[in-house]
Amino acid sequence: MKSVRIASGSAFWGDMLEPAIELAEKADVQYIGFDHLAELTMAILNRTKAKDPKAGYIPDIVPWMQRLLPIARRKHIRLVTNAGGANPRQAAIEVGKVAASLGLGKLRIGVVEGDDILPKIDELRRSGWRFKNLDTGEDDIDSIRGDLVAANAYIGADVIRDHLAAGADVVITGRASDNALYVGPLMHELGWQFGDRDVDRIGAAITVGHIIECAGCVTGGMSNMWKISERPWAMGFPIAEVFENGDAVISKPAGSGGVLNEWTVKEHLIYEVHDPANYLMPDGVADFTALRLTTDGPGRVRVTGMKGKPRPTTLKVCLGYRDGFIGEGLAFFPWPDALQKAEWAAHWVKERLAATGVACRELKIDLVGVDMLHGSIAPRDDRNYNEVGIRVAGRTRTADEADAIRREVTHLWNSGPLGSCFGVPLKVRPVVSLWPSLVPREAVPVTGEMMEVG
Amino acid sequence: MPRVTLHELAFARSGDKGDVCNIGVMAKSRRVYELLARELTVERVRAHFGAMVHGAIERYPLDNLDSLNFVLRGALGGGATKTLRFDQTGKAMCTAMLRLELEAPAELVDEARRVTASLEGSP
Repeated sequence: MKSVRIASGSAFWGDMLEPAIELAEKADVQYIGFDHLAELTMAILNRTKAKDPKAGYIPDIVPWMQRLLPIARRKHIRLVTNAGGANPRQAAIEVGKVAASLGLGKLRIGVVEGDDILPKIDELRRSGWRFKNLDTGEDDIDSIRGDLVAANAYIGADVIRDHLAAGADVVITGRASDNALYVGPLMHELGWQFGDRDVDRIGAAITVGHIIECAGCVTGGMSNMWKISERPWAMGFPIAEVFENGDAVISKPAGSGGVLNEWTVKEHLIYEVHDPANYLMPDGVADFTALRLTTDGPGRVRVTGMKGKPRPTTLKVCLGYRDGFIGEGLAFFPWPDALQKAEWAAHWVKERLAATGVACRELKIDLVGVDMLHGSIAPRDDRNYNEVGIRVAGRTRTADEADAIRREVTHLWNSGPLGSCFGVPLKVRPVVSLWPSLVPREAVPVTGEMMEVG
Repeated sequence: MPRVTLHELAFARSGDKGDVCNIGVMAKSRRVYELLARELTVERVRAHFGAMVHGAIERYPLDNLDSLNFVLRGALGGGATKTLRFDQTGKAMCTAMLRLELEAPAELVDEARRVTASLEGSP
């Protein structure tokens, strides 16, 4: 039966490079997908591009391609990445320069654009479309229109597939859904089409994409299995062998570290999912409630019976808007009486903020080591702590107010209880809040251009 | 019946989409799943998280994976880009869930413990 081997080389901007190199060198794969984007990442990249029209892509793509392209060329592996971020065209130009400097000969780079709908927002609203907030139910964006800094639609696999059919060695997209980086190659290789005939197979492609798209998160990262992860510092990233009947086997490179078993696949199937019978992606709707997992040898899990439904007529769009600043500070207090000292300091900071008239939209003080991660669920006892910290975070309208919060915590350095300790001051950061919404598919014309270098 | 933490009976994983946190709870056996499907209700989870969750809580069963998926709305301080939570993306919400206490028949607790032991004994 025909099959294709596709792997995941990155889950976020800042992921490890070595597992991707291991995949390319040792894993006999035809495709490697690289997800570098998250909601916050797009906001950062849009801001970068506003300052410099030649920026706005994931800068890591340059050193990564320097390492990966020579191997990919030698082994005929095609690379699909959304590292284009807010500027896929410039990213492609930079990758072209890398290829030329390495003397790799002719290279075809497919660029995918069209996800940025910020320039079209007003026109769409004039035509009657409302950007309803999917989280809060607010009807439209009037209250934030003036502060909008980004509007990127999550685009699907169509143009990725077309570029691969046209012979692209590398495909670079903007805000393609993480999932589409995998659906595109599978559609191309296995001849799957949108429409009734392949609806379950596209559902399988989406499900497989979901299982592997966060790379190390299915091979021992973020896992309940962390105690049994072998040489976790040498974790292997996942590979999916997908068959033309829509079944798949998930594995990782032979000899790699980490752990992959039915539990880690389950962990990832339910990760960042709402209704598991209706996992909405631009290319279709996957149903995770029918599939079966079976162990297919050590470190191999077979996935069968995957189902899908037709793709939605709308695309998700994430609108980002400026929403004030966050100021943050940390201080730690030692035995004896560590917990009491921290509580004393939390009270001290609140009184100081009130006395100096710092206006906060929201203020949060955690006791580090006591309740920072579990909040009110954390048990409070009179344990004889060796050390307890406070973390103060406040959201404000202006950067100056946020800085005042940061400063107030640093005052504890000289004014706190015996043994008060501090690290280095934290930086004030701007807040880009998100407004998740929908946009009609036809309002997002995705375009592709093939660049040839060498 | 012994009272145990959910940690004894299940694995869990959580993440974010905006201000919504989802927590997948994976029962350590089919029989434990049947118990959780009865006992680990939305009401129980709401009482456990209390004021930490402002919005609706939904529960979705995955009978094929012996798992329950909980969707907690208004649980992450406005979402990763604006939240004041240190755990901006809700990764530790699953471990907060595992602190929930349930009464479970001793033989099911033993069964779940054997699953943990067999996993941790053989990588």
